[in-house]
Amino acid sequence: MPDITKPILEVKNLRTSFFTDDGEVKAVRDVSFDLYEGETLGIVGESGCGKSVTVMSILGLVQRLGKITGGQVLFRGKDLTKIPADELRHVRGRDIAMIFQDPLSSLNPVLSVGYQIDEAMYAHDVIKHDDIRARGVDLLEEVRVPDASRRIKDYPHQFSGGMRQRAMIAMGLSNKPKVLIADEPTTALDVTVQAQILELLRDLNQNTGTSIILITHNLGVVAGLCQRVIVMYAGEIVEEGTAEQIFENPQHPYTWSLLRSMPRVDTSRRERLKSIEGLPPDLIAPPPGCKFNPRCPFRIEQCFSDDPTLETVGDDDRHIAKCWVRMKRAYAEMGAATLTDTRPGAASGVRPPKTLVEKLEDSREIEPDTEAVGDLRGS
Amino acid sequence: MAVDAAAVRPGATPQPAEPLLRVAHVTKHFRAGVSGVVHAVEDVSFDIKPGETVGLVGESGSGKSTLGRVITQLVPATSGQVIFDGVDLTTLRGERLRQQRRHLQMIFQDPFASLDPRMTVGDIIAEPLVNFGLHDHKEKDRKVQELLRVVGLNPYFNNRYPHEFSGGQRQRIGVARALALNPKLIVCDEPISALDVSIQAQIINLLEDLQREFNLTYLFIAHDLSVVRHISDRVMVMYLGKIVEISPSEDLYESQEHPYTKALLSAIPVPDPKIESQRRLVELSGEIPSPLFPPSGCNFHTRCPIARVPGICADEDPQLQEKSPGRFAKCHFSDEVRTKV
Ligand SMILES: Nc1ncnc2c1ncn2[C@@H]1O[C@H](COP(=O)(O)OP(=O)(O)OP(=O)(O)O)[C@@H](O)[C@H]1O
Ligand SMILES: Nc1ncnc2c1ncn2[C@@H]1O[C@H](COP(=O)(O)OP(=O)(O)OP(=O)(O)O)[C@@H](O)[C@H]1O
Ligand code: SF4
Ligand SMILES: [Mg+2]
Ligand SMILES: [Mg+2]
Repeated sequence: MPDITKPILEVKNLRTSFFTDDGEVKAVRDVSFDLYEGETLGIVGESGCGKSVTVMSILGLVQRLGKITGGQVLFRGKDLTKIPADELRHVRGRDIAMIFQDPLSSLNPVLSVGYQIDEAMYAHDVIKHDDIRARGVDLLEEVRVPDASRRIKDYPHQFSGGMRQRAMIAMGLSNKPKVLIADEPTTALDVTVQAQILELLRDLNQNTGTSIILITHNLGVVAGLCQRVIVMYAGEIVEEGTAEQIFENPQHPYTWSLLRSMPRVDTSRRERLKSIEGLPPDLIAPPPGCKFNPRCPFRIEQCFSDDPTLETVGDDDRHIAKCWVRMKRAYAEMGAATLTDTRPGAASGVRPPKTLVEKLEDSREIEPDTEAVGDLRGS
Repeated sequence: MAVDAAAVRPGATPQPAEPLLRVAHVTKHFRAGVSGVVHAVEDVSFDIKPGETVGLVGESGSGKSTLGRVITQLVPATSGQVIFDGVDLTTLRGERLRQQRRHLQMIFQDPFASLDPRMTVGDIIAEPLVNFGLHDHKEKDRKVQELLRVVGLNPYFNNRYPHEFSGGQRQRIGVARALALNPKLIVCDEPISALDVSIQAQIINLLEDLQREFNLTYLFIAHDLSVVRHISDRVMVMYLGKIVEISPSEDLYESQEHPYTKALLSAIPVPDPKIESQRRLVELSGEIPSPLFPPSGCNFHTRCPIARVPGICADEDPQLQEKSPGRFAKCHFSDEVRTKV
């Protein structure tokens, strides 16, 4: 049974920036969360919101222009941001394993799959050397690579995309890690293969109690696998809760909007999608106040001036959101339940202050105006 | 010829109308190496009615893009006919083909790769207009600005370059360019797959609005069955170069006539933990075979949960047949799909 009261990994006030020619890209801005023993935690949010940089920071993998500028990552009482590089290398791969979106680029093309799995074990001295070869085959069997004892001699290019991801998972599991971090492990795969990989992760979590952090932009994947969910936007956590809380009672307008903007295969198709207008902000100079304010249908005046903090919503302190309004009020006072116009400020009627309006008129995007076109109509 | 699209509005009961596009027994083979043949598209036939949106789904490598490119005549068919507006495009050459093709446009997956980085947005959108004889600068600018406005971009940004726009905005530029010649049919090849979740809905809504406004007909290609089902009136499912099922979108989730469709649907995660906890995955054995060596008989028999092997499934290729009104499937045992898959 997973002990979901004991944190195995604690991230406290983490900040990571990239110092580029254009300025400081604050990719992770004061992010804190716990990972509990035996749980599966999902991190969702759109491209560029800081999901990968967050977990790369945990493992000390941000490089070149990137730098952790603040905070702690506590694993078994040790701050991973402070320990020496060789000690951190042992934590990586032994205690905390990571699998990436693109397995081909993380596998060496000139070495056999088996050799690479073995290497992962030799590197950390967890498995007795005599047992390593046999364990390689066992691992491939465990991740359901058919005919494992023969296929273990193959090279990565002889594996399909789904099999390579299985091989990566086998490698990740080889030293019996406590934590597995999977960054978009199925994004490049077909849905049928995705489903198999997710089932594998689910079994792994249930059978061995390995804690999993699953990063994805696919909310369906999260719903199928994760007990708790973190929603990120523009480098920050904007909402966190149990899967039930996030999917059934989302309180941040961004979470709510994401859930409504996706077509679902199980519902009737007649309804127009509730899109989120505009784009995520520039992380060098995000807007003042709440960073979602340029796109939020429910914004109020305060959203343009003050940045909200993460607070508990409702009566369960596991559910927190970073919003001045929250969906409870949006339903009660702004007609969220029947909202069809999802443009910024549409539900609240609040326009941005004058100083910001000028900037908006310089925008690349406008309302689509199909009426304006005479020549194109009909034929 | 103007098309009476009002009669076939999505949502209204489709009237029997002449198809705008009829694809008949289209096959496309590519040479591979010295003697290899890639069976990318194999004897595919279907119709699209004016004003209709037909979706095309299937796994990577199933032949969706190839079929789209054969229809728009970007690559020649190995055999078969592509009859567009009553004319078989595969028999046309040169100027006559060019004149027909203006009514048939394509939007691509990768808004980054499909726009020339050295051209201004205005020139990119105007290029097809210039190719068809519009040279007057004022008129050209006016058209470009109109098109930008139609797709929701600021018309005064026509002198900017593609790299100054986000992925979603670049896809809008691709849409504006496709609209420039006032086409009848647009083949959308994964138009939103490269975009962020929050931007995908913007583009889907735009495509739906444009369809209504300009009486467009779409062939909409994607991996994502949720998106395809949302936008399409009918959905076609492709496996290893062949169409295995055609169904009205509305019915597709409730029941399937082909075991592959059922497996595909069972694999799609839904953003609802309660539904997810009850979802039953239909496992397919093995991997998708190589189109260099497609299996004998029904080419799905190597993975099918109800295949009779050895037997009819390995020996005989089933035909795509109407199993119930408007629903077609290519399976010897489609009556078993409901109960045994
Ligand atoms: N090496 C780098 N140099 C400069 N900026 C970077 C670098 N790596 C990441 N960033 C910036 O950090 C921000 C967060 O990036 P991150 O990769 O964490 O996003 P993500 O949420 O994982 O997105 P995706 O879903 O696309 O993988 C982005 O705005 C990105 O531009
Ligand atoms: N120019 C070509 N030469 C040789 N083979 C090709 C060529 N174009 C496509 N193919 C092959 O034809 C098959 C079908 O490819 P196609 O691109 O049509 O698939 P798809 O369904 O669009 O896949 P995806 O979802 O990955 O875009 C594949 O096996 C592919 O490798
Ligand atoms: S014909 Fe046979 S093998 Fe092919 S799909 Fe139907 S049952 Fe499966
Ligand atoms: Mg990432
Ligand atoms: Mg394709």
